[in-house]
Amino acid sequence: MTESISTMAQLKISARNVEVHYGDTIAIKDVSVDIPANSVTAFIGPSGCGKSTFLRCLNRMNDTINICRVTGDILIDGQDIYDHNVDPVQLRAMVGMVFQKPNPFPKSIYDNVAYGPKIHGLARNKADLGDIVEDALRKAALWNEVKDRLGSPGTGLSGGQQQRLCIARAIATSPEVLLMDEPCSALDPIATAQIEELIDTLRQNYCVVIVTHSMHQAARISQKTAFFHLGNLVEYGDTDQIFTTPHDTRTESYITGRIG
Amino acid sequence: MWVIDVVFSLPVLVLGLAILGFTGARTRVLVAARGDIRSLSDLPRAHGLNAFFSVIIPAVASFVLLSLVRLIGNQQGIETLSARTGFWVVLAVAAIGGVSAIRRSSAGFRARVASETWIKSLLIAASLVAILTTVGIVLSMLFEAIHFFRQYSWRDFFFSTDWAPNFRGNSALGILPLLWGTLYVSFIALMLAVPVGLFSAIYLSEYAGPRMRSVAKPLIEILAGIPTIVYGLFALITVGPLLRDYFAQPLGLGGSASSVMTAGLVMGIMLIPFVSSLSDDTINAVPQAMRDGSYALGATRSETIRQVVIPAALPGIMGAVLLAASRAIGETMIVVLGAGAAARLSLNPFEAMTTITVKIVSQLTGDTDFASPETLVAFALGLTLFAFTLGLNVLALMIVRKYREQYE
Amino acid sequence: MTTTANSLLVRDDRTKRRNAAELRFRAYGLGAIGIAALALVLLLSSVLSSGVGAFSQTFITLETSLPEAKLNKSGLRDPAVMAKVSTFGYAPLLRDALLTRIAELGITTSLSDKNVDAMISKEAAASLRDHVLANPDLIGGKVTMDVLADGRIDGYFKGRVTMESAARDGNTSPEALRVAQRLADAGVIETRFNWRFLTAPDASDQRPEAAGLGVAILGSLYMMLVVLVLALPIGVAASIYLEEFAPRNRLSDLIEVNISNLAAVPSIVFGILGLAIFINFSGLRQSSPLVGGLVLTLMTLPTIIISTRAALKSVPPSIRDAALAVGASKMQSVFHHVLPLAAPGILTGTIIGLAQALGETAPLLLIGMVAFVREYPAAYSHEAGLFGEAATALPVQVFNWTQRADPGFAERASGAIIVLLVFLAVMNTVAILLRRHFERRW
Repeated sequence: MTESISTMAQLKISARNVEVHYGDTIAIKDVSVDIPANSVTAFIGPSGCGKSTFLRCLNRMNDTINICRVTGDILIDGQDIYDHNVDPVQLRAMVGMVFQKPNPFPKSIYDNVAYGPKIHGLARNKADLGDIVEDALRKAALWNEVKDRLGSPGTGLSGGQQQRLCIARAIATSPEVLLMDEPCSALDPIATAQIEELIDTLRQNYCVVIVTHSMHQAARISQKTAFFHLGNLVEYGDTDQIFTTPHDTRTESYITGRIG
Repeated sequence: MWVIDVVFSLPVLVLGLAILGFTGARTRVLVAARGDIRSLSDLPRAHGLNAFFSVIIPAVASFVLLSLVRLIGNQQGIETLSARTGFWVVLAVAAIGGVSAIRRSSAGFRARVASETWIKSLLIAASLVAILTTVGIVLSMLFEAIHFFRQYSWRDFFFSTDWAPNFRGNSALGILPLLWGTLYVSFIALMLAVPVGLFSAIYLSEYAGPRMRSVAKPLIEILAGIPTIVYGLFALITVGPLLRDYFAQPLGLGGSASSVMTAGLVMGIMLIPFVSSLSDDTINAVPQAMRDGSYALGATRSETIRQVVIPAALPGIMGAVLLAASRAIGETMIVVLGAGAAARLSLNPFEAMTTITVKIVSQLTGDTDFASPETLVAFALGLTLFAFTLGLNVLALMIVRKYREQYE
Repeated sequence: MTTTANSLLVRDDRTKRRNAAELRFRAYGLGAIGIAALALVLLLSSVLSSGVGAFSQTFITLETSLPEAKLNKSGLRDPAVMAKVSTFGYAPLLRDALLTRIAELGITTSLSDKNVDAMISKEAAASLRDHVLANPDLIGGKVTMDVLADGRIDGYFKGRVTMESAARDGNTSPEALRVAQRLADAGVIETRFNWRFLTAPDASDQRPEAAGLGVAILGSLYMMLVVLVLALPIGVAASIYLEEFAPRNRLSDLIEVNISNLAAVPSIVFGILGLAIFINFSGLRQSSPLVGGLVLTLMTLPTIIISTRAALKSVPPSIRDAALAVGASKMQSVFHHVLPLAAPGILTGTIIGLAQALGETAPLLLIGMVAFVREYPAAYSHEAGLFGEAATALPVQVFNWTQRADPGFAERASGAIIVLLVFLAVMNTVAILLRRHFERRW
């Protein structure tokens, strides 16, 4: 395994020359990036810049789209996740994902969280499963709000609660990486603040990669920031540096609100 | 035979009057406008149309009304009014309508509004046909069923296990053996159609590529377009003998080609496209976000389908199954040709049994005497069938509608 | 940070098991489609293979002498008198002609005269009689005609009847088949395409070889006309009202629920409706295409209404707004702009509805269309009125033939199905082509 190259933390994800094609159109051009463990990395950029597409490469969600083709190497803990021996199903248990719009299953709160552990066989027995569910809900800061109604449908929760339920659902499979695709874009400011706080605590246990269209959010919660533009990774570095002294003029234009 | 004689001169005469009305009203306003149509509030054509409808619609309405009076009179044995009278009344109504419309046509008359009111009344009448049909269905069966229950005890009809009609009277007309046959055949049909239809819908919507879909979907749709008589013949000449020679006789279960199994299997084939296309719709209505959520947790496709997609689509699938069940219960030709004619309460699926629809056909075809319970029982059977299928349909539509609201 | 015990590159047992389950599930799906496809192939091939024989028929070419003494005793050539000679007068002539032919060809046989007679269809004497009555000048001379062979002989040349089955059959014998084979070798008996299957009327129980679909096709055609003339305008009018004008109230709700329910009411119930309302109550004629057409109209209406409403819905509101904005009334905007744009969709739906109606059988049984009809029905007659003369319909004719004892009718029934399916295929193809041609993306 590659040992840490940055002074800050261990290297978790390493992408080399990644390109993504949808049929004849190219969505991502030659992206190389190293993402450290136990930190929050934000992908920012104007809409359609490819940041979500790249995020979906990290757990091979793009496999579900027929016309999508990914080239280049993406290594997680030094293992090439596009190796033909890798089962995306196993990969996704290790790389969790939270989506733009909360998408709880039409099942009870408990079943929503227990779903992942069940399919991956993570619990030895019922009590064990209960513990996993409780632990996940606690980590997602939802336990206190739902502990009395675990049997009620997950779709009945408020938007912010639903999104935290989805985070709990992702945590329950004990992933190492958590991908978040604009997790707050469908939420009101108060719920957004709660989620942001949660993301900050999650950093201790997970490598969090978040796509956001809000520069302020990126500045608030991330340690590393990558700026994408028209399918290119324009600039990548410590968040402080990106927001204060960007090297590229395009980054600067975006951050100061001239493009995007 | 008055109906016929009247029909063949009356429509022509009324149409002639209507055309006269059209030209009359049109000419009148043109004259009034002295050829300058700008002085008119509406086009001359609108005046003409108004007159045209003023002839046709009251005439048709009065014809329908008079026919109804006459027919009901005939039923009660009363001579209400003669054909001649009816003929002249309708013509008079048409003429009065035309003349009054022409007289009303003047430069200031809002003819377009008037003619559009006529058209709208036609549109409403057309959509009432649906209600009238339902009313007709219920009334036609209800009246005759009441006749039947005057002659035959309803208790025996609904609770007797004996079906032995005898045209010399003293028949046993218990519905239970027929109901049993109906439900047994439908059950076998659903046992085939639901899994096959559901799995093909799942495969087509979740696994198949566009090329596979473009071949397999029309293929299954062809099954839906084949008339039931074809399925019936298939049961009679192919499936029945096949089952008898290779299953029933070697297993010692009977020697009849027509059997519950024959009819059930063939009916199952008929229902495959039905279940498949309805399930396909509901499976496609499940939002992609649900699937993504499951895939992102590392679920395989089949786990996602079984544990997320199917539960989410379940109400729609239930609706599809209920509609298919209603189809199966009401299906006639396949059971007439495939199931047999003997009323029997048995568990052996290779025996010939009969169904409600088969008996409706057999009691109402041939030389029938419309006063005997042996004939009238068909209406009671029909009413039972209608109530059954209506219940299933309403339930299914309710479930499906509720399901649609969930995602829209 | 701990790494997972198992590398991503190695699949653990659980994943292997899950992947196996995945493959199994996929196989079930593929299997289901396989079953459906197999059923379709089996269905079509069984009908085709058993029905294709109906389109060819075995004929015997006979030179029959028409003696004046037997056919025209009075010598007056008076049609009325000549018509008194029934088919029983003509049958022996045909038999003699066949016996003569057999003798000429030097075929020795143990068949009795009666058995030889049985090789000729009972229909043959009737056609010979019709031919002679139409051409009285032939009497006294000889006429060469292709007459129908008996159904069993016909079956032999189509492979339906074999020497073994003939040995067990009271109506024919292996010897008769042997003679027939010799006659065929000599070119006297020939099996060829049979237009009469499409044009001739039904025939009685003993004459499957003569039965045709003429009356049934005509009856179906009349009914389709009635359905088209009634269901299309009523359906379109109802759809326009419901889609464009109906206020959201309980009446419109009631109508909506009614239509969706009518679409799912068993077809046999419509037959009961037809019997009770149109025949018993209104006094219209049993077995008439008019009643059949009315019943099928009521059945087809929901289909037409549902597809017409979909077509109206697909016309974007901007078209209506544009019409209203130039001062057209609501009615004008619908009739001048929306309806023409929706026309292809309406037409497609109507054709599909007609195709459904064409294949419908059960309700027609109840209104007496299962009757044995040999007269071609006229579209109009003074006694019966418009479409009032007794007729049958294609699918009902199929049912009718399945109820006959002679195995020759099973072939006829399958043949009729082929005709029905061809009609349906043509109608559906037209509908698909129309949809493709007029498909519009807004």
